[in-house]
Amino acid sequence: MTKTPDDPRLELLQGTLDMLVLRTLQWGPRHGHGIGQAIRRQSEELLRVETGSLYPALHRLVKRGWLKSEWGVSETNQRAKFYRLTPAGRAQLIREQDRWSQLVRAIGRIMNPAPVNEE
Amino acid sequence: MRPDDRDLEDEIRSALEMSIQERIERGEDPESARRAALEEFGSIAAARDAMHRVWYSRWFDAILMFFQEVRIGLRSLLRTRGLAITVVVTLALGIGANAAIFSVVRSVLLRPLVNRDADRLLYIRQTARGIGTEDLTFSMPEIGDLESRVKSISAFGDFSTVDFTLIAFGREPRVVTAGVVNGSYFEVMGLRPALGRLINSSDDGPNAAPVAVLTHRFWTTALHSDPAVVGKVIRLGPGNATVVGVLEPSVPYPAETEIIANVVTSPHHLGATMQKERWHRMTELFGRLAPGATLEGARAELKAVHASMVHAHPESYSPGARVGLDVKTLRDQLASPARTILLLLLAAAAVVFVIACSNVANLILGRSVRRESELAVRAALGASRGALRRTLLAESLVLCVAGAALGLLLARPLVAVAARYAARFSVRALEARVDGSVLWLGAGLAVAAAVLLAYVPRLPSFDQSSAPNPAAGGIRITPGTNRRLRIFATTQIACSFLLLVGAGMLVATLNAMSTANTGYDMRQVLAVDVPPPASGAGGEAADKFFQEATRRIGALPGVDGVASGMVVPWRDPFSAILKFQFGFEGYQPANGEENPACMFRPVSPRFFAVLGVPIVAGRDFTDHDRPDAEPVAIVSQSVAQRLFPKGEAVDRHLWLDSRTGLEPQPRRIVGVVADADDENVVQVPTMTVYFPWRQLGEPSRLFVRAASDPYALVPAVTRILHDISADQAVERPATLEDVRTQVLTPQRLNAFVFSAFGGIALLIAVVGVAGVLAFSVGARTREFGIRLAVGCEPRQLRARVLGEGAAIAAAGILVGGLGGIALAWVASRLFGVAQMPGVLPIAGAAVLLAAAAILASLLPAVRASRVDVLQALRSE
Repeated sequence: MTKTPDDPRLELLQGTLDMLVLRTLQWGPRHGHGIGQAIRRQSEELLRVETGSLYPALHRLVKRGWLKSEWGVSETNQRAKFYRLTPAGRAQLIREQDRWSQLVRAIGRIMNPAPVNEE
Repeated sequence: MRPDDRDLEDEIRSALEMSIQERIERGEDPESARRAALEEFGSIAAARDAMHRVWYSRWFDAILMFFQEVRIGLRSLLRTRGLAITVVVTLALGIGANAAIFSVVRSVLLRPLVNRDADRLLYIRQTARGIGTEDLTFSMPEIGDLESRVKSISAFGDFSTVDFTLIAFGREPRVVTAGVVNGSYFEVMGLRPALGRLINSSDDGPNAAPVAVLTHRFWTTALHSDPAVVGKVIRLGPGNATVVGVLEPSVPYPAETEIIANVVTSPHHLGATMQKERWHRMTELFGRLAPGATLEGARAELKAVHASMVHAHPESYSPGARVGLDVKTLRDQLASPARTILLLLLAAAAVVFVIACSNVANLILGRSVRRESELAVRAALGASRGALRRTLLAESLVLCVAGAALGLLLARPLVAVAARYAARFSVRALEARVDGSVLWLGAGLAVAAAVLLAYVPRLPSFDQSSAPNPAAGGIRITPGTNRRLRIFATTQIACSFLLLVGAGMLVATLNAMSTANTGYDMRQVLAVDVPPPASGAGGEAADKFFQEATRRIGALPGVDGVASGMVVPWRDPFSAILKFQFGFEGYQPANGEENPACMFRPVSPRFFAVLGVPIVAGRDFTDHDRPDAEPVAIVSQSVAQRLFPKGEAVDRHLWLDSRTGLEPQPRRIVGVVADADDENVVQVPTMTVYFPWRQLGEPSRLFVRAASDPYALVPAVTRILHDISADQAVERPATLEDVRTQVLTPQRLNAFVFSAFGGIALLIAVVGVAGVLAFSVGARTREFGIRLAVGCEPRQLRARVLGEGAAIAAAGILVGGLGGIALAWVASRLFGVAQMPGVLPIAGAAVLLAAAAILASLLPAVRASRVDVLQALRSE
């Protein structure tokens, strides 16, 4: 859990995971397992979230007040903890989305520079 | 709303179940579905810990874990209740004593005074080292000289006391000591009123209205803080005075009084003697540093002005007396007499704490050796050194906190005792309270002790080859443990020895004082204070009053004699002031020497017979020694021997030295009486000159010699005195024996306090020695079994164990003795005083300790010799 300043990957990954979790909850509450499956499915199996980081991330988001959790019963009639977005979480999702698109644009400019028209 | 660990585990389990369910629905068989799900999930413990860490910081966990350890410790201590109680009580005594003494030290030495800018408030006094006094008050002409010439003091405040009969607040007439102050006194002292106003410059001078201020203590205790008291008119001595205010709570210095009045209330203060006579010193002087002035500057200036004043009045200051001047801040003046005794007490308390700690360390060490196998099991199961220490720390913390809590409960009554005790050295001790800082001290001591104790036991060795075999379960004692036990026991003996010697010294002193021959018949003499009546009548009226009282009380059944005088032995603080220089016929002081100073005691006829002082030569005063008769005097044996070495005192003459300003004419010595020291509790040869009070002086004390119980006479005596004069106050009836007992209270208390410390120390040390030996015997059962098996006599084994106890005691006494010598050396360097104890206290303490140690080793010794050989050999 410790962040080392010279390891930018970890931070990026962590920030992204939070954003993805918020995003999957945009249309309604889900339980932890469902969130993991949703990310997997919607990324067409490209992203696979480690359960070891998903659950701590969920609790972190609850602690920050962006999610609320409560025990409920799943579609398969199993007892499960459900998470849903709070208004603050919704606002945070919009911020993250903005930041993300800026980041993508910026990285895109560096990785695929437009033809330079000098002289 | 933090989820607890069960909630987290539930969540993980439900996630896993869903994952398994999914797989089964996809067609996997349940067993492989379960395995795959678990594999995919990764470490459940890691996930749970990561989730847990989101909610709970490491600190929280550590504290929680520690509480768990404490709970375990508490439970395991409940199983060994005897040990736990011993430890807690021992620590409580150590911590309680420290907390109490510290409270008093703090209030006396460390707490600021309520007086505004107390560090600019000076206490000024004269010294006359030539006649052996460090503390001489001032006369009004002297104060006038200083006031008019010293620039570095912005204002002087003066304070003197006078006894007034107070008739006020609907109470019996009684004599109170009142303070009499000038208008700038309260301003100089920096004190404020709690109610109304204080005395100020408008109350100065002979034409001001008489006013009085009540002290806070008197107002709250006697008058129940009655706010309507301001404006009341009271009868104070010869006249009336108006109460104008109540003083805020403050240190009762220079004297504890109930009332402080302005100068006009006291005819004596307005009289010529007070105003004009340079020798009439009865006033305490305070000063406030002028802005910009320093203590050193003011001291230098005051000394210079004083020296030139002395120079200008050679008739009043004889060179032999070496009159000088001393300046201190009031704060230092209040604290200085108490400093040494308080630091001594603090040291004694610290020693008790060390003894308590080392004893507790012993007990804990013994216990931990018994649990070595338990600790070894835990170590084998993977507990780290840190975890084991934490367990030990938790246990010792439980013990020490319990000890501290009990100690602080003890501290409250102890503070009350210690404060009353220390109040004799510094009035500030009366302010001592148990407060927050003492709680912190107790907590600090407890934690210090706990950490210390946690590091006393050795942890099981982590080196496999030498680790004890957990299966054996027996007690093993390593040489290291044994040595530590002995060192602690020796420390206890050494510290106890020091305390016992100190206590022995004080007891010896007290004993010498109480058994000393005082020169008086102590049991049968009732002393009663009969202060000058409220009417202020003196001379003729007083004469008549006492004649009448003597006659009527003398006629009571059971009365063997009645006399009067001015001083009740040891009780009257002014006895030391009634000391004048006398000239004696045929005695020429050597060059530069002074005329000898003698106690001056006006008494009635039969005074010596009533008090049981034998007349050695000549005659007693009689009723014929009237004012108009020949002036006569009686001297004590010391006077006769020193000044009339050839035994010819009777019929020679003596006279009051002219500087006293009293009376010039010579008096014929008509008798010589045995020495009786009415000033010092430790009797010293006393030069006393007795006058018949009808010729000079005014009586205020009545002495009644009773045939049986003196106290049975009190009602009748009081009735007769009130019958003669209704306004007459009659106070403090007591036999001389009881007066002396009361006067010796400080010494008694001193001896008691240190004996208590010594007793506690001895008790703890005995428990310590017994514990060490019992433990050592218990651990060596096998050794004793072998010895007995090879033919050793049980007697020899007993002697061996007793010898060990004696060795510990001897080592302790030796170390204590060396430590004592070192301490005395340090004390003599720091304070310049070191009183070496006599042989008796040292020998007594040594014998007591040795006896106690041998007694303590008796039980273990008997146990050693009764070891069952077969049992012992089979035990491993």
